[in-house]
Amino acid sequence: MPDTRELTKHTEDINELLARYGVKFGLYKNGVFKEQLFPFDAIPRVISAADFAELERGLKQRVMALNCFIADIYGEKKIIRDKVVPEEFVFDSPGYLAQCEGTKPPKGIWSHISGIDLVQAKDGSWFILEDNLRVPSGASYPMIARELCRRASPRTFQTNGVAENRDYAALLRSAMDHVNTGGCTVILTPGRYNAAYFEHSYLAEKTGAHLVTGSELTVEDGFLWFNGYDGRKERVGTVYRRISDDYLDPMSFRADSLIGIPHIYEVFRQGNVALMNAPGNGVADDKGIYYFVPRMIKYYLGEEPVLNNAPTYLPYYEKDMQYVLEKFDSLVLKDVAEAGGYGVVFGSKMTKEQKADFIALLRKEPRRFIAQEVIDFRDLDIMENGEAVPRKADLRAFVLMGEEPMVWKSGLTRFSRNPDSFIVNSSQGGGFKDTWVLSH
Amino acid sequence: MGIVSLTNTDKLYWLGRYSERVYTTIRLFGESFDKLIEGDLQSIDAFCASLNIPNIYTSGDDFVERYLFDPENPDSVLSNLTRAYDNAMTLREEIGSECVSYIQLAIYAMNSLRGNESPMFGLQKVIDDILAFWGLTDDIIPDENVRNIIKVGKRVERLDLYARLKLPQKDILREVRRLAVRISRTNLQYEQEDMDKLKDLAAAEKTAYDEIVTLVDGLVKI
Repeated sequence: MPDTRELTKHTEDINELLARYGVKFGLYKNGVFKEQLFPFDAIPRVISAADFAELERGLKQRVMALNCFIADIYGEKKIIRDKVVPEEFVFDSPGYLAQCEGTKPPKGIWSHISGIDLVQAKDGSWFILEDNLRVPSGASYPMIARELCRRASPRTFQTNGVAENRDYAALLRSAMDHVNTGGCTVILTPGRYNAAYFEHSYLAEKTGAHLVTGSELTVEDGFLWFNGYDGRKERVGTVYRRISDDYLDPMSFRADSLIGIPHIYEVFRQGNVALMNAPGNGVADDKGIYYFVPRMIKYYLGEEPVLNNAPTYLPYYEKDMQYVLEKFDSLVLKDVAEAGGYGVVFGSKMTKEQKADFIALLRKEPRRFIAQEVIDFRDLDIMENGEAVPRKADLRAFVLMGEEPMVWKSGLTRFSRNPDSFIVNSSQGGGFKDTWVLSH
Repeated sequence: MGIVSLTNTDKLYWLGRYSERVYTTIRLFGESFDKLIEGDLQSIDAFCASLNIPNIYTSGDDFVERYLFDPENPDSVLSNLTRAYDNAMTLREEIGSECVSYIQLAIYAMNSLRGNESPMFGLQKVIDDILAFWGLTDDIIPDENVRNIIKVGKRVERLDLYARLKLPQKDILREVRRLAVRISRTNLQYEQEDMDKLKDLAAAEKTAYDEIVTLVDGLVKI
């Protein structure tokens, strides 16, 4: 393990600098918006070159298969016809959008930026927890943290052979340029009261894209335009949109959206602008569909999955329902419609009444839940009051799609600050670490 | 000159105005604060009247606390600084993280002073951050139009405040000249006729402060 003692001495200074640069996330609590600092722990997660090579292979494979799946679902639907994935899991998914039927995004890419959440078990093996193919966030935090860590302790980086991670902006830019249909690149944000606004603005700065809200873009003559104050306008070729499908275009999706751009989806369907990620991806990152990803890999790529899912059960299948009821206390149950650490309950932590109520709901709406074995994560040390203490942590790896899939040699490691909790989400009080990929 | 959207033009302009408002009002506040040491409560009246803001303060201590730090008081320094911050944080891609960071630091400095017995010492840090912010805008913002829009906001605000405070003619004249040079380097929409009239008013034998305030406030059309 690399010696990081010199670096960790500067944890407080680095957090002060992160505060100075406004590295925050927004949170709504009781209807009130608050900005919070995202606590940083300077002890990095360290991944060896060999371990990363395996992860890289598995992540590329997974994202390739997921892209094939989305294209198939909005196209020929072979995977359904061949009964590899039951159709109700596709068409009942809230992420499936009928409006996307027949769409062919530029260069055939649906998920340009994929955030894949993993955990490492105590024996060192990795498990995929979930796929995020809509608007995954988090890359900016380790990027800026690395910048500050290098300032704090240059010697640590001279001696440890850590792969560069500040190239994320260049990777993102190359993914943006790869699908650009002609024109400038913009990052579309819902606005400063979005939880990830810092990231939107930071990535715009680092990629040289315009950061825009919907009111700054218009559709005219089948193209999308960025409008200047002085009447000049510029054609837009790529939109890295950080707003959800529902709100993207009031003409195609939610009619009451005030933050979208009327007719943008039509321009996209005509091939006159690239939307990153493409609308409709939610059909593939649904927690119910997750169960079928290993099958997709075999079906589309003819390969065995390199990375495993966490052992998962679908109460939708009677056999799995029986197992879930038998082993209820040892499982974690997840509502497929929820995200951000919400809708996750541990069987062992429920009272008798809660358990009875939950089982009744499970029987009534079996499609709504998945159950997973609780993986005994490998804990990572964090510094707390000057002492190293173990905490649960996950890893969000980022895969960007250009000519070829590119796995970023870093990732967002999130940890729980509560010693009894498995929930690592920032919105639930978690912190973050840098992720080092070593050259050896 | 790159394209700057209407929204960002507005934010850049107001970033300039609010940062200047914080800077100048802290300096003015310092003069009133000095008089308050001898118990001169009239100085609060005079201060509020000069800025055309209501005197809602019940005592010297109340004035210090609420004029500086009350986030619910729309005229407080903190409220104006927060507005500068609200604009700055949405302009990261135009002005850069380093520039944004100095407005952020000013907010931290301001918040850390609440309840401090010697706020004037700490306010110097806020002023230093604003000065660093302005210095950086000159140094690192590559787009001249972006730089100049901020500076026009700053010049408009300064002229507005100086005219309200009825500062000597030479100060008004200098600010009008600086504004005229700066605004001509931007793509901001304004009437040249209004700018010429401002110059005449500033150069006139008897300075027409109220007319200058009206004219300068409506000068830029966003």
